[in-house]
This record gives sequence, structure tokens and C-alpha cells, in this order.
Amino acid sequence: MNKKYDKLGSDVFNKVEKINSELFTLTYGALVTQLIKDYEDIEQVNIKLEQMGYNIGIRLIEEFLAKSGIGRCTDFTETAEVIAKVGFKMFLGVTCQVTDWDTEKKEFHLIIDDNPLSDFVELPDHLKHKLYYSNILCGVIRGALEMVQMKVKCTFVKCSLSDDNTCSIKVVLEEVLSDLVPVGYD
Amino acid sequence: MIYSLYILNKAGTLIYQNDYGPTEKLSHNAYIRLGSTFHSLHAIASNLSPAGSSSGIELIETETFKLQCFQTHTGTKFYIIADPNHPNLDETLQSIYELYTDYVLKNPFYEIEMSIRCDLFDYKLQRLLGD
Amino acid sequence: MSRSTSNTISTPSSLNIVDRPLSKGKSEINLSSFAFLFSEMIQYCQDRIKAGHELEKKLSDMGVSVGPRVLELLVVREKNSKRETKLLGILSFIHTTVWKSLFGKQADSLEKSTEADDEYMISDNNMLVNKFISLPKNLSSLNCAAFVAGIIEGILCSAEFPARVTAHNVAVEGKKFSKTVILIKFNPEVIERNP
Repeated sequence: MNKKYDKLGSDVFNKVEKINSELFTLTYGALVTQLIKDYEDIEQVNIKLEQMGYNIGIRLIEEFLAKSGIGRCTDFTETAEVIAKVGFKMFLGVTCQVTDWDTEKKEFHLIIDDNPLSDFVELPDHLKHKLYYSNILCGVIRGALEMVQMKVKCTFVKCSLSDDNTCSIKVVLEEVLSDLVPVGYD
Repeated sequence: MIYSLYILNKAGTLIYQNDYGPTEKLSHNAYIRLGSTFHSLHAIASNLSPAGSSSGIELIETETFKLQCFQTHTGTKFYIIADPNHPNLDETLQSIYELYTDYVLKNPFYEIEMSIRCDLFDYKLQRLLGD
Repeated sequence: MSRSTSNTISTPSSLNIVDRPLSKGKSEINLSSFAFLFSEMIQYCQDRIKAGHELEKKLSDMGVSVGPRVLELLVVREKNSKRETKLLGILSFIHTTVWKSLFGKQADSLEKSTEADDEYMISDNNMLVNKFISLPKNLSSLNCAAFVAGIIEGILCSAEFPARVTAHNVAVEGKKFSKTVILIKFNPEVIERNP
């Protein structure tokens, strides 16, 4: 299963129109610094980043489905692989590792090496462990999955900008919204 | 010859309608009613199907027109009305879906699930479906 | 760029950020990712402003903070980076090097205004940041490339060529959609020292 999603991820990424990732990284940096200026409370910045990510996720999912051709996943473990190997690859050009499943297979960790959002970024001490710089990603995952009837909660557990050695997001499946499944897809 | 394109949001409300061939122009409300009617028929057809899980209406063929529908995994429906002898519209529907993901969903001035009013989307569709 | 010799912040295992090698700048990302991010930024700005014309200012302000960083990055990467002191030199740098680095191609034209001595225009027929954006009727004079104008303003001010930079929609004969013209109005002191 792993190999097929790795290949699909690379294939789709090769086909999409690309730009220099630095414009993206610098633009994201400008957004985060603007938010810090506008909101006094750093926790509000984290919440806003997640919300913005959610708005992106609910739109991005359609492009993901259109370009990857991926159908319904049979279970949550497959969903995790698809996000890590196809989703992240297609949009950010990097793949992630899926680790630390819980016993019921409703919770996993996504390890991101080489997060392009945080290239060149160094957090000042007073923001470490307070600002979740890439929190937008949590929102993107939550928004995208909600559109395919999975209600999840995503949180940053480790961030390399706060001196941890990796970037890690915890994804928890809260509910499958079965009454909202489009007709014929049950 | 492609006559018309209809796009319905997840709730079954018409969010886009346009004509690309010689066809009678109806009132805006009439189009909205047609959209809701199709949404209901689509749902009923899926439930009626004797074959277990069915994907809902994909194709309606009549003597005067052909209707082909594509529903995404998120519930958005795209359907085209074309002449009865028109070849398979799978690729066309896929192209329309991609145009939607580009020129509608990436437009900051478009509110999701609402009526689509995006010049670039109209322009690209005209180039794809018009003569 | 200065190099620090003591590790005051980081843990022993991680390298101080200024000691890390600078990437070659060739890494790429999906255009859609930028488009979604930019779209969300525009919506964020729209929600915070009170009057229509403030949207461009807010976008421009965000670009201004990006500008100096782009300048540093590009100058460090150029093999023989001599500080640009001539007006045409810096404009050419923006038209060619900056555009190519950010958008993958040179800008379409660089012109001096016939109406004012202190104004120059850089045009782009297909501004990348606007690729998927359709303006609503009530905002038809808005150009979201105000963000790019901000970046250019940041670059120019950082390079000691202070200017006011704005983005405009200009209709193109025979084409349905307008092109973007970045208008650069230099401060008087810049024009005075460049006769």
C-alpha cells in the first residue's frame, strides 16, 4: 500500500504547475507576522491560523480529489497514508511519516521533515512553545477531511522551531459523519 | 453539441448554469427549480436501485437530448445536457471539475456553496464547451 | 551576513540558523498552494478593513515586509554581487532577476513614464498572483498584485531607492482581461542623485 501512494504522490506532483517555494515561504511568513501584529494574544494567532487553514482545506480537497483520482478510503489508516504520501506531496512537495497509531486506529501522528512553511524561520524565545507557526496545516487537514465526512481534531505536538527535533501533528478521528455522505457513496 | 451545464452544491442548490448551444432561455427561478428537481431525482434513483449501493443518476438518454452527471466525493454535482449522439462526456466533466477547483475555489471573492460569479471561470468554460 | 560563534539559544545538537547552508533556491511547490494561501490572505484583509481602498494598502503592507528578505536572498546568491547604485540598474534587477526568481520569468516590459520624471512602469501581462482571481463588479479597480507592489517597494527602500509602488489594472486592446502595471514613483532625492 505504501509504495503505491508514494508513486501516486510523485506522479501528481510532477504534473502540477509549480512555482518557486521561496515566494510561498516568505508570503506565509508575512501572514504570520501580520497576525501577530493584529492580535495581541498568541493563542488567538494560533486559532486564526487554524481557521484560515480550515477555509483552505474545504476548498483544497476538491482539487486533491480531481487531480489524484483517489476514491473513498476503506479505513482511517488508509486515509492517513493518503494524506501523508499524496496530499502533502501534491501540495507541499514533501512526504510525511505516519506513526504512533493508538490501539483503536483512531489516532495517529504525522511527522513532517523539511516543512517548507518554516524554511529560514527562527522563532524568538518568547514565542517558542507558544506560537504554533505552521498551525495552518492543522486547519487544512481538518477542513479537507470534513468535506469527505470525517470529523477530526488536529494539534501540533512537536515543532522544530521550538527546539524539538521534528515537526509532528496529532490527528484524532472524532466522528464519521455518515448522514452527510453523498448519495450512492455509502 | 453541448447545450447546457448545471452545477449543484452539496445541498442540491443550483450554483451555476450556462448555455453553450441553441437552447431556450428560461427564467432564473426555472433553472433553480430544475436544479433541485434533478438533485431529488438523483437521490431517489440511488435509493431505488435494486443493485445495492448505487451512485445515483450518471446518464439519461432520450431521443432529443443526453444528460450526463458527475458527482464528486464531496457531494458537488456537475451535469451537462448535450445532443443525443454526443460522445461520452467523462473527460469534459473532469475538465470542468478541474476548472472549478482552479477558477472558482481559488477565487478569494467566491463564497463557498454560493452562486458562482467568476469571470475567469465563465471565460474558460466558454472556451472548453462553446464552439 | 554575520556568523555567530557562540550558541546562545539552540540546544547543542541543532545548528545555529545563520550557520546553516543557504539553499540554492531551486525547490518548488505547487502553484495551487500559493494560490490558496494568497486567497486566504486577501479574505483576511477584506474582513479587517473598513473602506474598499484600504484592501490594497493592507496587501501592500504585507508585501513590504517581504521585500528586504527577497533582496538579501537574491543578492547573496548572485555571483558578483556589487551593490546597485544606478536607478536603471536596480530597475533592471527587479524586471529581470526578481521577477524570474519569484514568478519564473522576466517581467514583460520596463518603461519610463512620459508624464512624470520620477515614474517608471513594470508590466506583466499574466500576473501570476492573480491567475485564479476574478474581481467582483464592485471591486473592478482592485488589483491584488498590490502585494507584489509592496514587495517591490520593500526591495527598493531596502536598496536605498525609496519609492511608492502601486499595482494597476490596464486594459489591453484585443484581450478580454487586463494586464498588471506596477507603477514606481521614486522619492525626489533618488531622482536628484541620478541625473
